Amino acid sequence: MEKGLTTNMVVVAVIALIVGAAIGYVAHVPPEAPEAPEPIVPKLLTDPDTLIFGTDFSESVSLDPARAYEFWSCQITHCLYDTLVTFEHGDVTEIYPELAESWEVSEDGRVWTFYLKQGFSFPSGTPVDAEAVAFSFNRACKLEQAAGWILTQFGMTDGSTVALEDYTVQLTLDRKYTPFLFLSCLAFTTASVVDPVVVMEHEEDGDMGGSWMTDHSAGNGPYILEKWERGTEIVLRANENYWKGVPSLKTILVKQIAEPTDQRMMLERGDIDIAWDLPADMIDDLKGVKGIEIIEQPVFTQDYIGMNVGVEPLGDERVRDAIRWSIDYDGIVNEIMKGAAIKLQTFIPTGMLGYNPATPYYQNPTKARELIAEAGYPDGFDIELAHAAAPQARDIAAKIKSDLAKSGIRVTLTEMTAAMMYEKYRAQGLQLVLGGWGADYADPDGMAKPFADGTIKQLAWRNMYYDEYATNLTRGAMIEMDTSKRIEIYAELTDYILDHGCFAILYQDVHQVALKTWVEGFYKCPLFALENFEDYYKETIYVLP
Amino acid sequence: MNFRAYVFRRLLLMLIVLFGVVSITFVVSHVIPADPIGAILGPKAPDEVIEKLRHEWGFDRPLHEQFVNYIWNLLHGNLGKSIRTNRPIILDLMERFPDTIELSTASLIIAVCVGIPLGIVSACRKDKIPDHFSRVFSLFGISLPVFWSGLILLMVFYYRLNWLPSPGPYSTYFRPPPVVTGFISIDSLIAGNVGLFLNHLEHMILPAFVLGFSSMASIARMTRSSMLEVLRQDYIKAARSKGLKERAVVFKHALRNAMIPTITIIGLNYGSLLEGAVLTETIFAWPGLGTYVTGAILYLDFQAVMSTTLLIALTYSLCNLIVDILYAFLDPRIKYG
Repeated sequence: MEKGLTTNMVVVAVIALIVGAAIGYVAHVPPEAPEAPEPIVPKLLTDPDTLIFGTDFSESVSLDPARAYEFWSCQITHCLYDTLVTFEHGDVTEIYPELAESWEVSEDGRVWTFYLKQGFSFPSGTPVDAEAVAFSFNRACKLEQAAGWILTQFGMTDGSTVALEDYTVQLTLDRKYTPFLFLSCLAFTTASVVDPVVVMEHEEDGDMGGSWMTDHSAGNGPYILEKWERGTEIVLRANENYWKGVPSLKTILVKQIAEPTDQRMMLERGDIDIAWDLPADMIDDLKGVKGIEIIEQPVFTQDYIGMNVGVEPLGDERVRDAIRWSIDYDGIVNEIMKGAAIKLQTFIPTGMLGYNPATPYYQNPTKARELIAEAGYPDGFDIELAHAAAPQARDIAAKIKSDLAKSGIRVTLTEMTAAMMYEKYRAQGLQLVLGGWGADYADPDGMAKPFADGTIKQLAWRNMYYDEYATNLTRGAMIEMDTSKRIEIYAELTDYILDHGCFAILYQDVHQVALKTWVEGFYKCPLFALENFEDYYKETIYVLP
Repeated sequence: MNFRAYVFRRLLLMLIVLFGVVSITFVVSHVIPADPIGAILGPKAPDEVIEKLRHEWGFDRPLHEQFVNYIWNLLHGNLGKSIRTNRPIILDLMERFPDTIELSTASLIIAVCVGIPLGIVSACRKDKIPDHFSRVFSLFGISLPVFWSGLILLMVFYYRLNWLPSPGPYSTYFRPPPVVTGFISIDSLIAGNVGLFLNHLEHMILPAFVLGFSSMASIARMTRSSMLEVLRQDYIKAARSKGLKERAVVFKHALRNAMIPTITIIGLNYGSLLEGAVLTETIFAWPGLGTYVTGAILYLDFQAVMSTTLLIALTYSLCNLIVDILYAFLDPRIKYG
């Protein structure tokens, strides 16, 4: 009897386990008619109308162009809205008109007049005209959210954009700026043109539609936001009336897949088309795998060691130079980044106007020790290096510590959350810091100001670095109208900061993306979040039944 | 004191506990030396914008004033707005909590359906092969890290065998159903979309199993030990000597009395499952409470952290209360009052 009971218990346990598998088996049969926008055609290897990204977009806050500042927020916003001017096909050296037909600048360089293309309207029927442009720019300046500074840095305020005529809009700046700098900022998502009627219909407590715009779209871009299912997916539907032509991909799905191993498995199985966040070792494994292509693009972000000149002995230029001579740059690029970075030692990255390819520094502990001794520290010195609590930052910090030890510099590593680290950094409270920086717009001014101008509360200031010569060069380049002269100024400035500044730039990031070979037209833009999804399409592949 | 008075007293005590939780969470979140606005805007945002937003969100006000405001809003049913998602937190929780409840419930069902029979078999066949099997199985359940077992199961059942679907709450060719209850399973049925319902269940199998595995192990161990205790009692010997069938002895006389500690474990497990499981949710791309609150912590979204903690504390307290109430149904000797 006891045995019988045991058998029964075992049977119950086994049944319970099998029930799950049974549900799986039953449910696994492909649905005959799911209520999906496009029914599955069994003979198709992949749905040619739908592109699926696997990525981690959990940091995204809002899809309101006036607020969007995180990568996926900006990338999605870029698909939902048009701007006056734009970049095309990942080339960020040339500005092209988008909603603007043409433009002109006043003699003093302060007043910009844009003449708009005519005959377009938002999905609501509201015309895309000068009123819409003025409303959008004034709204972004008034709300002054995270990315608002992209416009307000030019002295733009609520009211400085005026509709002169139906299709003529005028922007007044506080001073003259070099045209490429201003226009490249107008290509950023903050300068997107929104539908004023729809936005104001959803205004709450004077927020100019900000809450509603967080997860709705009111634009005239190639895609319309169908749904943002937080933590699951963002769904974009093609704008059937898009003035440049209906995008080939009718649906874009951005799936929240935080775990890179999941992204890789799903890519290989064909459940996603593009794996966005794979680490370098996985990318290496996927190279040569049939049906998968790897795209590698140096992007405008870089990592650096910041040296606070207000902390002894970092105020001594020889000590800062010694630190630069202590670092094994090749080791970091090859052993830690493993292809996800290229060597860079000046602050203007490759691909950007004014790029300076100089890489004079290499690991030379003998020279570093001499410099430290010259500076009055023959026995070396102790210093603290702060870094964010992230695996890659941890590895690089450990490497830097070991490199500097060879030169007699004893480093204590301090790991903290990124939020806490930047809080202290903003208050000039760190000694050495392992930080990162990326350009928001394609003009070198976006890199020169933080790295060289100590009067702006950015990177140089946070390291208590001020150099009049560097500041003047930065400001001069900002208003220089002649491009070749600007390039000369930036060459001088980058060389100067390389040797005299408060940074040891470690590398430029390379974004590695793995995708199915059936995705066509894909390119990776070096600039933050400016990929045009409407340029992509998918092959129609049938498999034998 | 009767049953109603007991429940009323427990609910009152729960309010005190919740106030304590809210106060402690508030103080802990606000003494962290980091600025939530700076965290959310990132390293590039200008100081002036940070100052402006800090003022707009009220972070520049004295701590006691912020606390009073928070409690006042809470008493009016307003959980506040998340600085990370820029939405009322109640909406975020209504979106995430149903997913967690679904997954937790499925995990608990698996844990109970497998754990209790395993514990019974183990107790009835003490020191025999089924017992050894059950104990090793439980040991695995308790000691295997989720990030390992989850990925291995995905690798085998999804990537290699293709028996089970990809991570996520449903396959890419489905769109979520119109929101009625927030539960995808229920809403898909309301929408008449049986395909989505089945697909959702299919997607739930692996995460529910992984999440339920450790609960299953603790339930099996607790059932085994309490069954062993009960099976040694005199009334069990008396029942057997009366010639009762073993099945009746085990189920009718032993199991019911052995269930009280097991019920406690089940209740506590359900409470902790409902907190959300960050690793399981991350590995299986499940949009639950765990990943929500982790993101909120990383971005110093205090308001969201406090509200989620409050919800978790409430859930946990309710689970405990339900367990305490269940005791009386299982054992008539237990009286409240």
